[in-house]
Amino acid sequence: MRQIFYLIQKEFRQIFRDKSMIGILFIIPLIQIFILGNAVTTDVKNIKLVVQDQDKTPYSRELLRQFIHSGYFKINGIEEDYNKLSSYLDSGKANLVIVIPKHFQRDIVLGNKPDIQLLVDGVDGNSSGVSLGYVNDIMQNYQERLIEHLPELSLQIKNMHRVEAEPRFWFNPNLESKPYIVPGIIALILLVITLFLTSMGVVREKEIGTLEQLMVTPIKSYQLVTGKIIPFCILGLLEIMIGMGFVYLIFGIGIKGSFFLILFESLIFVLSTLGLGIFISTISDTQQQALFMAWFFMIFSILLSGFFIPIANMPPVIQQITRLNPLRYFIVILREIYLKGTSLKDLIPETLSMITFSACLFFAAVIRFKKKLG
Amino acid sequence: METDIAVKASKLSRHFGTFTAVDEISFEVKKGEIFGFLGANGAGKTTAIKMLCGLIKPTSGEAYVAGYNINTDSSMVKKHIGYMSQKFSLYEDLTVKENIEFYGGIYGLSRKEIFEKTKKLLSELHLEKMRDSLTKALPLGWKQRLALSTALLHDPSIIFLDEPTGGVDPISRKNFWRIIYEIANQGKTVFVTTHYMDEAEYCNRLSVMFKGKIIEIGTPTELKNKYNKPSIQDVFIELVTRN
Repeated sequence: MRQIFYLIQKEFRQIFRDKSMIGILFIIPLIQIFILGNAVTTDVKNIKLVVQDQDKTPYSRELLRQFIHSGYFKINGIEEDYNKLSSYLDSGKANLVIVIPKHFQRDIVLGNKPDIQLLVDGVDGNSSGVSLGYVNDIMQNYQERLIEHLPELSLQIKNMHRVEAEPRFWFNPNLESKPYIVPGIIALILLVITLFLTSMGVVREKEIGTLEQLMVTPIKSYQLVTGKIIPFCILGLLEIMIGMGFVYLIFGIGIKGSFFLILFESLIFVLSTLGLGIFISTISDTQQQALFMAWFFMIFSILLSGFFIPIANMPPVIQQITRLNPLRYFIVILREIYLKGTSLKDLIPETLSMITFSACLFFAAVIRFKKKLG
Repeated sequence: METDIAVKASKLSRHFGTFTAVDEISFEVKKGEIFGFLGANGAGKTTAIKMLCGLIKPTSGEAYVAGYNINTDSSMVKKHIGYMSQKFSLYEDLTVKENIEFYGGIYGLSRKEIFEKTKKLLSELHLEKMRDSLTKALPLGWKQRLALSTALLHDPSIIFLDEPTGGVDPISRKNFWRIIYEIANQGKTVFVTTHYMDEAEYCNRLSVMFKGKIIEIGTPTELKNKYNKPSIQDVFIELVTRN
């Protein structure tokens, strides 16, 4: 036990002796939270819209007015020439083009169901899907207003819309992406810092020869691993607390659930990244190798975590692979606690999965460490 | 079992793939002896010393260090040996005092023992003024003496030195050997590898390694007489060319 204390003391002395380390540990994550928190957004706003109104009647103008008032669209031009419309999409001046046909008003009044043409820039499938959703919403509203204002319209239109869904979004009523994204960013930073620090830490000692010196002492492998892990656990928890404080100050996003539950879950998560870091350390001979290996695992973890791409959208095989990714569970847990205030009781499957990973990685690290001696 | 043998190796071998680094070496080292391992680079000295310290496992053969089998009792071996390698093994970003404290702690010394040892060591090495300077600020000769002192913190009965004076100026080397004699006078066994021939002359007994084998063993005088040469350097060259 005393040996572990001395290892921890040594580790902290080394970390805080290096002034640039303090920057890496505490300043850079804050900048990352600030920039990423503002940049990574799934909100679709300011959709560039180009319009061709071939009808030019009160009805068509009312429809366009609704587009403008929705707040999602920015009218980027009104084009009279049908052949020029595609050039707006080509040049990126428009994400969406609407063509209101001739006799639009007349057809409505006659009950002829006029068609509106939409041209959508489908390069970013996600955004175009969202903007189509907005368009459908607006059309729906438009029709309801028509029905209210035109009692003379035939009953058949009214009957078409008998059943209506009235969605209420819980936990994040305005469907803002920040409260959803920002906890994920905290998780990413925690992953990166702890994974890189430990994977470099052991290899560095290997390179300078102090590891060999430690190996000729009676110290046990598990003590050595524990002595490496505890300081970085403490740093990781410190990091996440600072991160959460910063998220509150900058974005005003507070935690709905328990602060201590977050710390507890973070601890379990950090044990898995530290175990992985030490494992990487034992299989690499130079800091360079360790860096590349850590980088590989980092990219893998982030892409398969559901942070950028929802896991439900992935092919089934890949979905199964994501189960091997502790970050996947941790991001879910953080979002749940942040947005819903979920209690431990409802997070047990995720928590157990993380515990399993942490335990496996920790033991793999210790065993590899022992083998290295043989 | 009380004997006067500190290290006893029998048919100790280590292969790396198809390469045989150490080839069935057998020897004995008496307590209090300064035993030298002489050999060119790549002769297998370091591999041999690493096996004796429990850093790598032998492919075959066995050895007893301080009375403990290196194959089955390596943790007991580690308690009774000190080790200092050609690679400088202190933490350069820790101060002199912090390094001593750390290694003392790792060897399980009490806080009081660490405090006393630190004081004693610093005065012996005349490093009191450098107590709180970073280790990287020390000249190489001082670093090596500090490394040796930390390897002795837990009062081991055998100390293994793997090319301890590599890259050090002649005066520092001489000072270093003075310390080695002091250690041996305290009854500790010193096991040292070197390729400096003048240093070989300082040893009580020498073994010459060539391509993983021990090709000659004896006191420096015995060897010089046997080959009728004026210095160990000449003996060494003679042995290597003959093989």
